[in-house]
Formats: sequence, C-alpha cells, structure tokens
Amino acid sequence: METESLVIKAKKGDKEALVKLIMLKEQEYYKLAYIYMKNKEDSLDAMEDMIILLYDKIHQLKKEEAFYSWSKTILVNCCKKQLKNQKKFVSIDQIKEAFTEGEIEQKEDQLLLDKYLSQLKEQHQEVLKLRYFLDLEYETIASILKIPLGTVKSRLSIGLKKLKESMGGEGYEKG
Amino acid sequence: MKKVEELLLDRKKQIEAMEVPLELEDRLTTVLKNKGRKNKKILNRKWLQVAAILLIVFMVSYNFNTLAYYSKKLLGYDNVMNGTLKELNELGRGQVIGESYTFENGITITLDGVMMDEGQLLAFFTVKEPSGALEASEYPSQMHLKGLTRNYRMLYGQGEIIEGENEIKWLMAFEAPRFYEKSLQFKTSLKLEDHWEEASINFTIDRSKAMKPSLKKNINKTFQVEYTTIKVESIVASPTQTIINGRLQSIFQLAKDQMLGERMRPNQVNIKLLANGKEVHNFGAGLTTDLNGMTFENRFDALPTDLHTLEIHLESFSVDRDVEGEVELNKNQDNSNIEVLGKEIKIDGVLEENGNTYVTITTAEDIVLTKVYLIIDGSRVNLKETVAVGYDKLQDGSIVHTRTLNFPSTGEKLQLNIERMSFTEDYNQIIKIPVE
Repeated sequence: METESLVIKAKKGDKEALVKLIMLKEQEYYKLAYIYMKNKEDSLDAMEDMIILLYDKIHQLKKEEAFYSWSKTILVNCCKKQLKNQKKFVSIDQIKEAFTEGEIEQKEDQLLLDKYLSQLKEQHQEVLKLRYFLDLEYETIASILKIPLGTVKSRLSIGLKKLKESMGGEGYEKG
Repeated sequence: MKKVEELLLDRKKQIEAMEVPLELEDRLTTVLKNKGRKNKKILNRKWLQVAAILLIVFMVSYNFNTLAYYSKKLLGYDNVMNGTLKELNELGRGQVIGESYTFENGITITLDGVMMDEGQLLAFFTVKEPSGALEASEYPSQMHLKGLTRNYRMLYGQGEIIEGENEIKWLMAFEAPRFYEKSLQFKTSLKLEDHWEEASINFTIDRSKAMKPSLKKNINKTFQVEYTTIKVESIVASPTQTIINGRLQSIFQLAKDQMLGERMRPNQVNIKLLANGKEVHNFGAGLTTDLNGMTFENRFDALPTDLHTLEIHLESFSVDRDVEGEVELNKNQDNSNIEVLGKEIKIDGVLEENGNTYVTITTAEDIVLTKVYLIIDGSRVNLKETVAVGYDKLQDGSIVHTRTLNFPSTGEKLQLNIERMSFTEDYNQIIKIPVE
C-alpha cells in the first residue's frame, strides 16, 4: 500500500512523504478545512498548522492505516483553534465580492443559509456541514470528530430540525 | 423559495466544484522545510497576507481617501502621534490613555489614546518590538473592545510601520460604545510558539471628551423610485465624520416581493452630500438587511465649521432585479438584440469551440446579467465564466461594455435566458437641510 509505506517514511522524518500523503487527498483536506474556515487563505493557513503538527506527532501514530482519519481530526482541531482566535474580529468574509454574470446567483439564499447555520450550536453546524457539504458517512464523521456514531446521528437530526425551524420562521417553505 | 435541503445541496455542489489552490503543495512543503529554523520568507509572506486582509477590510468599509485623510491628520508624520493626540486632547477632542501590555515575547502594545463620537470610537495605538528581531507578521493586528455585556467590533483600520523604530502606529475604528459603558477593555491576541496570548488593556471612557455631534437632524424624507421607496432618515455630523442613514424596503415589502417572485435587491444607493455648495468627500457606504428590512448608511467627511447650506443629492440607485429575457441564438450569423426592462442587450456573436459555446454581448456599462444561462437542445447549461472584451465610448458619450460568456457545452438549438439583471437608475433628487 502506497499510503502505508509513505506513512512509514513520514514517521522517519521524511517531509516529502508527508506532503505527498496530504496531496494524494488534497481535495478532501482542503474542502474539510474550507467548510470550517470559509475562505481560501484561512483554509491554507489551517492546513499549514496541520502539517506542522502532523510532522511533530506522527511518531505517536500507531496504526499506519489510520493516518487519514487521524490527520483529519488534527486538521479540524487546527481549524477550530484558528476560528476561536478569530472570533469577534472582523473577518475576511465581509469582503464584498466583485460580481460578474452568474456569480451572485443564489447568493441571497446562500447568505440566509450561512446566517442560520452560524446561529446553530457549533456541534450541530459541523456535523451538518460534514454530512451535507462533504457527503461524509456517519462513521467517517464520528472518527474525525472523535464522537460516538449515535451522537453524530442525533446532532444531525437536531441540527437539521433547528435549521429548518429557524429558516421556516421567516417565510421559508418547510421541507 | 428553496427548501433547506435544496440550499444545502446547492452549497454541496459549490464545494464540489471548488478547486484546490495551486499553491497548496508549495505552501505545505515550504512550511515543513522551514520548520525548526524560523525562516523569514514564510513570515514575510504571512505578513503580506495580514496586510492584504487589513487592506481589503479597509477598502470594504471605507475607501482610500479616508486613509489619506486620517494619515494626514494623525499618522502621516514621524512620531506625530503623541504631538497630535496631545494637541487634540488640548482641544478637548481626544482622550490620552497611555496604557501598555507586554507579551511574553517582548512585544508591547500601547493604547495611546482614543477619540469618540456617536458613530465610532477611534483607537490610536503603537505596537513595538524592542529587539527588532521579529517579523511584522508576529505583531497583533486584530482586536476588539469588550464592554459590559457586549463586544464592539473593529470597523476598519490602518497601520504605519515606522522604519528603524521597530514599531507600527495604528489607527483603528470600532463601533461606538453604548451610552452606559464606563470602562472598556481593548483586547487583542498574539500567536506565540505554541499558544495564543491574550492582551487586555482597560481604560475608562471620559464622556466629557467625547465629541458631540455638530449637527444631528431627523430628515424622514421619502423618495419614490421606480422599484422601491428610499427613505432618508437622518444625518449626524461629528468632528470626524458625517453619517446619513436611511431605509430602503421594509421587511413586508421584502417578503411581498419574494412571494411575487419579483425580488429587487438594491446594490447601492449613490448619495452626494453638498455643504456650502461644495461636495463633501465620500468615505464609503453600506447596505444591511436584517429583520427590520433594509437600511443604508453613507459616510462622509466632517462638515465645514462655517456651514451655510447643506444638501443631500440622491444621484442614482443600483438594483438587481428578477427579469424574464430570452432569445434564440444562431451560430455564426447575425443575431437579433434583446430588450429586457427597456435595456438593450446586443448579441455580437455566437461561437462554438472546443466543446464550449461562446456568446459575446454588449450592454450599457452599468448592466450586469447576474443570472444567465443557455438552453442547449432543451437542457440548461450554466455560465462557466465571463471573459472581458472591453469598454467602448459611443458617439453620444455613453460607455458600453462588451464581454464573452462561456457556456461549457455545445448543440444545435440555442436559447439565451436571462433571469436576473443588475443596473443603475439615475434619479437626481435633492433634499435641502435647513441649517441654523
């Protein structure tokens, strides 16, 4: 297995192997960071934080095959840490995008979605995003967030219910 | 309106279509390569990001002229900070604080002073790194004010690096503290090796130093424009700025439009302010939609002290409208133009190449087709990208914009559908404000 041999190399301090491991699944990592960070720069920053931590801690990883879920958990934690520090500050999200044809399509609905999503508890937000935006399986979500499967399911159903309630409360058709 | 599930699905599609930035691999490699020996290159790049973020935030809230304005007054000269602040303080216009916080790594942040009026609180502070060994990226740059029960956000800011002094002079504007606040905490945090250190500087607000508005008037004049009503509610002028507040649509109007499928999304209300017949410099404008409807705020420079006349000119209004426009297109031959809401969209050409269909259009400068797609042999193809061709000045002086829309598919029967369009309407209405 390519992954395992790369993990073994990375454990020995091979930086290239570590980068390669991430780049093999760059889409998954980047999108995972993006649903938390919501912009490119912060997502890249979180991934930088992640790779440094991975490099420092990879010797602690016992099962090579667990590399991907282990490293994604670390990425999520890096994102949360960054977000915690950003809280209350002006965020780059406030930038008004220069729009061209088609670009603001759905923008308004999406803004409302963002608004109501962000009003949910963080634990509900994240499972909704992981499930619906990244299409991750319940098991995968459980392993990345290090929570039991049952908790994933209950947070999802509560989160979706709350989201519908809040959006339905202002003239939205209920699903 | 869409259901929650549809919205979630829309977002999923967006995320699926998103591309991983090309620089990712390079960044990961570089950050690892430099691990353990603190390479300046990375820090420099990070600083650029910080600068870019600040600049963007700034540009959004306000435009560059604000920057120049404040620079001249407070930041433009070496070590002018103390002198000017002192001077302003002597005039009763500022409050000198002079409190510091020193981080573990030796960086000191000093809140030199604040100036406050009804619309904002300006904080003047210095970030100093005594040894000069640290990169600018390691300076704190984002902050907020903590009050009794709430936090006050940073609105915009600008910093100046004082060469050779290892320090940055900052001016940041925050939301104005509520009337009941007596003391505030100026908070920021700094990323150290393995943790974040939070700095907090307490200061007491001296309300007697707060700048009183030099003019505060309710206007409550309503303009009926074609698609909505614009209500100019009030004008508040202080020694640092002048704010005009207004309202566009009530929440009922918004809801009604949504139901009728005739949504109108205002983009901008263009207002000019004339004092003694001369235009007052515009700092920036913003639109907010909340549960009370849509409000706008236009900020201008301070008014002259010897004010004789004051006029608000409502110049134009840009909106995004739901429209219905469709036209059959013919490949490689002349096409007829279409008219949507009385505005002409000229079809310059339709070209098929490498599996894409390219439609070149020309419209007046202010028109943007915000939701447009192509029906190819009965199936809908979304716009992939718009490629600018250029602007042209017509004989009558009007400016037209030509661009090419790229739809990633080809076929025999083509129909261009326009569902949304944004454009600017001129109004030129004037409100005279009595000045005593």
